[in-house]
Amino acid sequence: MHPRSVLAIARKDAIDMLLNKSTLTLLIMPIVLAFLFLFVSKLVGGHVTNIVVYNPGQSRLVQVVSGTFDPMKVTEVNSPADVMAAFGPNGSKKDSAYDVGLVIPANFESTLQTGGHPQVGFYINENNVDPHLAQLLQAAIISYARQLASPQPPLALSTVTINPPAISNFGQVTGNTYGAIVLLISFMTGTSLMPGLLIEEKEKKTLRMLMVTPASFTDVVLGKLLVTLVYQLVLSLLALAIMGSFIGQVPLLLLYTLLGSCFSLALGLLFGGIFSTASTAGMVGGFLSLIYVVPALFIGPLGALFGNSAFGQAMKFVPTYYIADGAYNAIQNEGSLNGHLFDIGVVLGCTLALLAITSWVLRRQASVAAAI
Amino acid sequence: MEGRTVMATNDLMIEAIDLRRTFKNREAVAGVSFSVRRGEIFGLLGPNGAGKTTTIRMLTGQIVPTAGRATVAGCDVVKDHQRLKERIGVVPEDQNLYERLSARNNLNFSCWLYNLPESRAEEVLELVHLRERAKEPVRTFSNGMKQRLMIARALLHRPPMLFLDEPSRGLDPISAREVRGAIEELSREGVTILLTTHLLEEADQLCQRVAFITQGRIVANDTPRNLKLAHGQRTMVASLNGQAANGNGSGSFTEITLRMDNPDDQARLAQLMAEGKVQSVHSQEATLEEVFIEIAGVRPA
Repeated sequence: MHPRSVLAIARKDAIDMLLNKSTLTLLIMPIVLAFLFLFVSKLVGGHVTNIVVYNPGQSRLVQVVSGTFDPMKVTEVNSPADVMAAFGPNGSKKDSAYDVGLVIPANFESTLQTGGHPQVGFYINENNVDPHLAQLLQAAIISYARQLASPQPPLALSTVTINPPAISNFGQVTGNTYGAIVLLISFMTGTSLMPGLLIEEKEKKTLRMLMVTPASFTDVVLGKLLVTLVYQLVLSLLALAIMGSFIGQVPLLLLYTLLGSCFSLALGLLFGGIFSTASTAGMVGGFLSLIYVVPALFIGPLGALFGNSAFGQAMKFVPTYYIADGAYNAIQNEGSLNGHLFDIGVVLGCTLALLAITSWVLRRQASVAAAI
Repeated sequence: MEGRTVMATNDLMIEAIDLRRTFKNREAVAGVSFSVRRGEIFGLLGPNGAGKTTTIRMLTGQIVPTAGRATVAGCDVVKDHQRLKERIGVVPEDQNLYERLSARNNLNFSCWLYNLPESRAEEVLELVHLRERAKEPVRTFSNGMKQRLMIARALLHRPPMLFLDEPSRGLDPISAREVRGAIEELSREGVTILLTTHLLEEADQLCQRVAFITQGRIVANDTPRNLKLAHGQRTMVASLNGQAANGNGSGSFTEITLRMDNPDDQARLAQLMAEGKVQSVHSQEATLEEVFIEIAGVRPA
């Protein structure tokens, strides 16, 4: 291997890919899709949080709570009974128009400051508010009270929760699922670009020119892998950034992004070795891009619904399922260590197996080419 | 004695000894031996499928010979493969430039591969008169311009040995003349050139020595002049006035061809001249193509 030749080939291809309309389209596609999914995600998850408050003393506590939500709408009512009626008893199931309710006594702040213990009613509809967020809101209310009457426990907070979660915080979860799906779809780029780069050198007979320069065939392959990996990583990270998916376990998410990119390139390299025309490789690559789309549909909420079906079980034989699963769990900050190790192991193993097969195919081709 | 032999060997840029290459059961090159001296333009001539390109591919290290050995620019084509690549330039038969890239970027890429400064690309662009079009994508170039750019690319790292495989293939007469001009210029600068062509007129014009190759074997190897003298027939063309030629007094004239080495033809010419019937006489040398047909028994293309 000659690093100078590898870098030269990567540099040339980096320019050439931007001048080629078809590769440029492939490069732009994940970004366009990310924006499309973001739009859909906003449509699905763009829920306006309705807050109902009884706040006769115009307490600033309402701003503390409402400031957590965007977008939100605050409705003021005239009595605590109106708030109670909107939610119903604790633990009940009710189709409420409101997501959060507050009953704040008059003179809330002044009562706290004079050492009193005012009682605040806090109502949560867990159909639309995640339990973790509800806990955070409770902590925010207590924290606000402590600012006014530190250090004693200043207020009595009574919490009423309705509609305990079946699928909680649907919008957020859906957004995270879309993040993982977009990441998976972005990997199609590497699988589609890589064979074209290699096959074009053969088709246009430029490979023959390269073989009489200091570059070796290994340098050519490595140069192409390098440039595609860089583009692939940039695109995947951009797609994740657009989807706002850099949350949860970010280092783990980055690891899945790197592993997924390597898997995508290994598969693309195999196509580049097997097929002799760019059109055939493109056709097969297009069909096989389903392995990036379909498994991604069996993670997150949809996975919970359909994961146990025969088709859902069959997806577990597709390596990309484990990229999607791992990435989704990393974004959601979920998954056990063993689960992540298993996902990483499967993806890494499959990538290495693909590279080994590709290496055998390319070596065989080189020996056949020399014999004819 | 030994010292003289070493000097002679050092003077050789190519030395091929019994070079053979078999593809499956077909012997494409069946024992080729020849040498090319430093600074020489050497032509490997023959019809399509004669083994020219296979010979070049062996000499440039692209394929390994089945048997025999060869050194090019002091490098064994099998053992010194990597060093050989630094010492040769190759212009292949097919145009293989990066069409979307500009002429400058095509050459810059080669500069990166050979670790040369990009200013070298500007120098060779000037050399092949393409500096004005350096920024334009190669796909907008004519065939002649592309061919010149390929020559420029092959010269970028200043190789002492240049291989040109059918350099005028597919070019219009003007472009072909431009390319021939570039080759002559390179030869004047001391670059050794091995070119293959089936255009024997081109070879005659450019090459100091030529080898005829057919069915994988070299059947002749000499200077074009010696080959023509040895195998061609020298002729004279005499223009006779019309009356003399056809007796109708029309005033037109007729040309007759006479073999210079044939006593009967010599006598006939002398008689015609004595009778005052000859308007003009000019000698005509055999063409390289005629010699090729005479030696190889087939047409070169």
